Amino acid sequence: MENPPVERLEDDAALARRIAQAQPGRAPAAEAELCRRLAPRVRLYGLKHLRDEHAAADLMQQVMLMTIQKLRAGELRDSERLASFVFGICRMSVLELRRGGLRREQLLERYGEDLAPAAAPAEPLFDLERVAGCLEKLPQRERSVLLMTFYEDRPADEVGAQLGLSPGNVRVIRHRGLARLRECVTGEEAAQ
Amino acid sequence: MNDFACAAPLDERTLIEYWLGELPEDAESAVDEHLLGCGHCSARLGELVALAGGIRDALRHGKVSAFVSDSFIRSLAGQGLRVREYRVPRNGSVNCTIMTGDDLLIGRLEAPLAGVTRLDVVIDSPGLPGEVRQDVPFDPARGEVVVVPNMVQLRAAPSHRLRLELIAVDDDGRRTIGEYIFNHTAPTA
Repeated sequence: MENPPVERLEDDAALARRIAQAQPGRAPAAEAELCRRLAPRVRLYGLKHLRDEHAAADLMQQVMLMTIQKLRAGELRDSERLASFVFGICRMSVLELRRGGLRREQLLERYGEDLAPAAAPAEPLFDLERVAGCLEKLPQRERSVLLMTFYEDRPADEVGAQLGLSPGNVRVIRHRGLARLRECVTGEEAAQ
Repeated sequence: MNDFACAAPLDERTLIEYWLGELPEDAESAVDEHLLGCGHCSARLGELVALAGGIRDALRHGKVSAFVSDSFIRSLAGQGLRVREYRVPRNGSVNCTIMTGDDLLIGRLEAPLAGVTRLDVVIDSPGLPGEVRQDVPFDPARGEVVVVPNMVQLRAAPSHRLRLELIAVDDDGRRTIGEYIFNHTAPTA
């Protein structure tokens, strides 16, 4: 069996050190591996804070470009603080995007094509028919709470107010419903 | 941290509450930072987000039936979903159908719900034994139960008569609150 590239075995901090210690642009494998790991995490951060697929994709591009550029420039002093470093860039970039700031084209113009990370893959998709079939098997209350919660990602107090339930009660129903749905969708239900 | 392991994984509840914006600001920031440094927990959140997307798509494509709230329906309509509504008075009936452009069909069952703590619904379809939906959610203050049928099944169904019975359940037993008839005409091809 072929051994994985050494970059795959290193932790994030080691990859960041490699990039910082190399001549700018001379650690392409480490940069690619770090982007492979960070891009989906940054995309989720974008989805959470911007609630928009395209804006999240823009954020991912911006953050990855800035992160690699700053690592190349030796701006991260302690590589063990990489997550905190990226978090800071994310926060700043979200503010910029909310102000209608940078877009991918401008970023590429600013940083150059060689820094452009590959697109992060979206989350694994569940089979729609299976999810629908499993939802239909849930008790009514769990089904309603899950639909009303996740259709627009609404918090427990909002959903509870619409159904005459306390937020605590909604959280309990939601948690139980999600667990049951996941078991059914992934087939764990049948295995038990 | 890396892609493979997490020394202090976030629990499921925290991930859900984070995603839905229920955490206090400082706790949310701590989770943000953890997720950016942790492939393991981030992948678990990604799975949760994908499942939430499946739930959303199931409703958007009319593949699931449910009892929901009036506010929820108004929100769906506000987003551009084409919602056809039928209001049925207590012990009344309505003629209904489904059109090509409809995204969702809803039935509003008017009922006196003050003081009701648990509600069951019996659904009588032609040729099938009565199906009991236990403990359906409702907003007691609105005086109606809002039901969303499975659009895919309904589109495939022939013209038929559907009877729904609302039953309040409490310590004293079960009592019928109202009966509702839907005279459904299948759309012509």
